[in-house]
Amino acid sequence: MKEEWLKYLSAPAPRYTSYPSALRFGEEVDAQLYEEKLRGVGQYEPVSIYVHIPYCKQLCWYCGCNMRVENRPERMRAYVDSLLREINAVGERLAGNGRVASVHFGGGTPNMLPAGELGCILDAIEDRFGLTDDACLAIELDPRLVRPGDIRLLADLGFSRMSLGVQDFDVRVQWAINRLQRFEIVEASIAEMREAGVEDVSFDLLYGLPKQTRDSFSETLDMALSLSPDRFAVFGYAHLPAALPRQQMIKQEDLPDPQSRAALAEMACDRFVAAGYAAIGFDHYARPDNALAIAMREGRLRRNFQGFTDDIAETTIGFGASAVSYAGGVYVQNHKDIKSYRHKVDAGALPVARGVVRSGRDQQYAATISRLLCALEADLAPLARFMSPDERAQIDGSLDRLERDGVIRRHDQVIEISSEARSLSRVVAAAIDPYFNAAQKGAPTV
Amino acid sequence: MSKISEITETAGGGACHAGDLGSPFCALCDVRERSVCADLNPREMARVEKTMARRSIAKNAAIVSEGEPNQNLYIVVGGSFRLIKYLEDGRRQVTGFLFKGDFIGVRATAQAAYTAEALEDSHVCAFSHQFLDEAAKSSPGVKDRLIARGQTEYHCAQEHIVLLGKKTAEERVRSFLSQLASVIGTPGEDSAIETPLPMSRQDIADYLGLRLETLSRTLAALKKSGAIRSISRHHVSLKF
Repeated sequence: MKEEWLKYLSAPAPRYTSYPSALRFGEEVDAQLYEEKLRGVGQYEPVSIYVHIPYCKQLCWYCGCNMRVENRPERMRAYVDSLLREINAVGERLAGNGRVASVHFGGGTPNMLPAGELGCILDAIEDRFGLTDDACLAIELDPRLVRPGDIRLLADLGFSRMSLGVQDFDVRVQWAINRLQRFEIVEASIAEMREAGVEDVSFDLLYGLPKQTRDSFSETLDMALSLSPDRFAVFGYAHLPAALPRQQMIKQEDLPDPQSRAALAEMACDRFVAAGYAAIGFDHYARPDNALAIAMREGRLRRNFQGFTDDIAETTIGFGASAVSYAGGVYVQNHKDIKSYRHKVDAGALPVARGVVRSGRDQQYAATISRLLCALEADLAPLARFMSPDERAQIDGSLDRLERDGVIRRHDQVIEISSEARSLSRVVAAAIDPYFNAAQKGAPTV
Repeated sequence: MSKISEITETAGGGACHAGDLGSPFCALCDVRERSVCADLNPREMARVEKTMARRSIAKNAAIVSEGEPNQNLYIVVGGSFRLIKYLEDGRRQVTGFLFKGDFIGVRATAQAAYTAEALEDSHVCAFSHQFLDEAAKSSPGVKDRLIARGQTEYHCAQEHIVLLGKKTAEERVRSFLSQLASVIGTPGEDSAIETPLPMSRQDIADYLGLRLETLSRTLAALKKSGAIRSISRHHVSLKF
């Protein structure tokens, strides 16, 4: 990475899986508003569904997700009952409108639930929302919990996309994050997937983990590539021990410094591109014949809560604790706490805790930021009318710096991110983001 | 429909003897009595016949295509059609089925909102909206009366939304079958209703918002329970 880009590496930047970010969610959004927006969903409007399973077998110390360790099946069954209630409640309000384009099971660990219970959830979705054969069904899996035969059951339920939490193959790193999983386990899982005809397998990898070195990560990448998944997602570990107590188990001194972090991310990128994968956005890689790569080539790539996606649906309906929905310009988040979530749903209410209404300005910024992250270029002209002279000056200042450093090129109002600076695209997005800029005022800038 | 099956396209004006006896086609049309042109007076009928064109549509061919202009009102005089909406990425939603006596293209549109494809070799009568609008000047309400009976694409959308609002796969399949039986079913022996199934299973599944496997499972369950007496690829015998 270029010398002058290093300073951007340690610069904070939102992940932009939603805009405005979840940090801005507040109480202005309630169940009543969500219901109103659900009524506005069009008859054949594509809708994507997200189901959150907040349970894991064991705590991984790096994790930033809403999850809890749970080993009592009866508790999980009770949660599934609440999920089914919620699906029915939302389905009633949609009254036949909407058309399911995709269903994504995330967590936590969705395969904490037996296939039969996942099947019940899918049946409820099919009954309430309709599910056709071309809807895409995806699930995140912990390979340590995959028993022989499980994958076949999931494939028979219709899951055609599976993503495995791999993180890192090095045993020293695995000890440092409390996630021991042998290579053979992942190897066996993907073999079963291929056997069952699953043609879209993704590996999640993490860089910036404790004890990770260039050599160890290089080996992890080789091992991962030897299994030929169809995609990779390579996320950077964010160390926020003050906000996430479990991360206090990770020692600061074991973490690679920002420069090494960048080198790890760059190594992954180089290695995957050399192996024939297309670089998608700033952290995904896909085989050229994979749906994600095709979507990118055709300019259909989008960003949603799961990252970069080929899903065409704007409207997202989230089920489960902490799940986020988006309908009619409003983000809605369910109660995070499983108890409050269940309490609300079991009382017949929609378990809405908070959210935010996207203003016209937000929508315009969201579209521009999405273009920057997905296509690496965007036209700022449509934003001009939303900018105060002060904001304009601040943004121009940041963009000037980024241009001087070769991160971006500008032609008139169009910003183009240099393809080698792809990993910095969030920093460019942050430079034009009014919420981010307002929050940074007073804080030292790069 | 053998009466008109040999015709591929005939403009009404030349071949028809518009007059007291009506054209041979219209006189022989078995849809006319039931729904289509029955409400038109002889003068209106004569005008309608003048510009009407009959077309035969091969199985799977489209008569109206989503996004394309459509200037015609079509009456299905034989066969059947599926209405389809394509999503941006090419995925399709079957939004309804139209049968003999039903209408496609109730309004002229610069961009049709759906595609209509023949489920089998079918026949339609086409009227240009421009003509119908002109005819309306001297015969008020001619268009309304023309389409007063029979289903249109708008009825289909209504039915579909009601159907998708139903709770279980079984309820959806049951109400689809009974809708179908009431439109194209005929009484059979032992108070059974015999209903053709011109559409494929995949079409039905896409229409009902069910996966093919779920549809098959549900049909099997209905057969077991006796609600379906027998079912083959293109025919179902129902017990209500």
